[in-house]
Amino acid sequence: MITQALRIGIVCPYGWDTPGGVQNHIRDLAEYLIAKGHYVSVLAPVIDEDSVPDYVVSAGKPISIPYNGAVARVLFGPIAFARVRSWISSGSFDLLHLHEPAIPSISLLACWAAEGPMVGTFHAAAKKQKVIYAIGPILEPLIEKLSARIAVSEAARSTLTEHLDTDAVVIPNGIYAKRFAHGERVEKWSGNTIGFIGRFEEPRKGLQILLDALPIIARFAPDVRVLVAGPGDSEKVLEDIDMQLRHRFEFLGRISEKEKADLMASIALYVAPNTGGESFGIILAEALAGGSAVVASDIPAFDSLLGHGEFGALFPTENPQELAKIVIDLLREPDKRRALAAKGKTHAQRFDWDVVAEEIFSVYEMSMVGGATVRLASENRAWNRFSTTEWGNQ
Amino acid sequence: MGESVKDLLLVLLLFLLSLWYLSHSATRLDRLHHRVETSWANLDGLLQRRAAVALEIARSTISDPATSLILTAAAHQAREANVQDRSMAESGLSGALGLLLHDEISSTAFIEKDLMRELSELTDKIRVAIALHVDAVNRTQSVRKKFVFRVFRLAGRAPLPVTYEFEADVL
Repeated sequence: MITQALRIGIVCPYGWDTPGGVQNHIRDLAEYLIAKGHYVSVLAPVIDEDSVPDYVVSAGKPISIPYNGAVARVLFGPIAFARVRSWISSGSFDLLHLHEPAIPSISLLACWAAEGPMVGTFHAAAKKQKVIYAIGPILEPLIEKLSARIAVSEAARSTLTEHLDTDAVVIPNGIYAKRFAHGERVEKWSGNTIGFIGRFEEPRKGLQILLDALPIIARFAPDVRVLVAGPGDSEKVLEDIDMQLRHRFEFLGRISEKEKADLMASIALYVAPNTGGESFGIILAEALAGGSAVVASDIPAFDSLLGHGEFGALFPTENPQELAKIVIDLLREPDKRRALAAKGKTHAQRFDWDVVAEEIFSVYEMSMVGGATVRLASENRAWNRFSTTEWGNQ
Repeated sequence: MGESVKDLLLVLLLFLLSLWYLSHSATRLDRLHHRVETSWANLDGLLQRRAAVALEIARSTISDPATSLILTAAAHQAREANVQDRSMAESGLSGALGLLLHDEISSTAFIEKDLMRELSELTDKIRVAIALHVDAVNRTQSVRKKFVFRVFRLAGRAPLPVTYEFEADVL
């Protein structure tokens, strides 16, 4: 067993100061490992270098490029590569943990530049695209350098199997379940309330499905209200809502973690009508941990997180009628709802960082068998000597 | 510059490029073989520890004499098996431990909780270790099947890694 403190290098492919699931995951993991006494350095693209925590090292300013149907803030190029190399060679790491190494950003560069114990985590889930036949041969030799691959969900794992013909261990994303377990019930948020959290303007978050279901729900539960939290222009959304329904909506804007926990403890139901593009669904794990009953669309990520309906109710994706049916049923039967919420809350402990980080750490240990540490890859040594450190020490 | 010199330079360039490609591929394969070995060392270590835990359980008060007998026999077989018989012996041990674990659910009065916890933690780790090893082996096999790797014998005299037949669900 390895018990001494490790030196762990984590690479974040996306801009540290833009909100995102991968960034949150890395932040929580890094802080958990630091609290356990390990040395952690996170290399990430950073816009404002003064606002990042001590353990984050900037690799330069991120570039916004369209990738996979969204704008990704990534970083690559010779200067970034030089920084990655100098971070690796000066860090004397026992292990590198690369996030999304198949995305054109610094994780991929680090995977190319280094050798030794390396763990890769794959977050994204996507349908197979033709372009993979072109980029597969470039990625495959790089991805196979990883001593272990982690996928955050079955969806991410099958994406990896289909795209790069390689398997991964599934370890879910983590949440601090205890923080959500002690939310305080807020009177104005309780009653027949439905919660929705996320960037509600994005169609794939599915607020429209909930809007379409609401007239049916309102017929059977006249006092139903919808609480929407998350960044976005609520005025614009309200304009499109039927006059009759507008008073049922309350937009809370961005809310803090504490408010989120309180919200989950107060609402009757949390509804996630997403139409796709989700790989894990961390918000569902948080809702369950907060003691809320969950109704979600049956996209693969949600289906597996909710144990095929055991820990939360599922409805066919993009089907407002079915959603309405389930919501009405659960609003009318508080006992059924409470039983579902209780089951979900127990299940949510599985996603607690105490469990998840230990699983990740045991993969670290397995990758380090053999005693080698991280160094610059041998095939790049000539290039290293050639380019010396004139960029690297910036 | 004459045409022939240009051609010569072009041929030289192509030659150097292919040399680089071959050396790069050899490094790649070498790394894969290394991964097969370390992942096997990891798995082997975990399996040995499981056998040790099984023996300890057999000697403890948790199990009755009959279970002890089965466990002891299975653990010894797993420890002493050669490479060919290893997977069958380990599956046998998994089966024996499975019997005990299922039994334990019905009987609440057992003292050695620590041993059982260690066993379940080991089982989780072994499951991951198997996945890592199987992946390394599959990857190596598929790379070695490629044309360039066969023609230039980039694998050298390294034996082709064999897939270890684990029954993961028995664990």
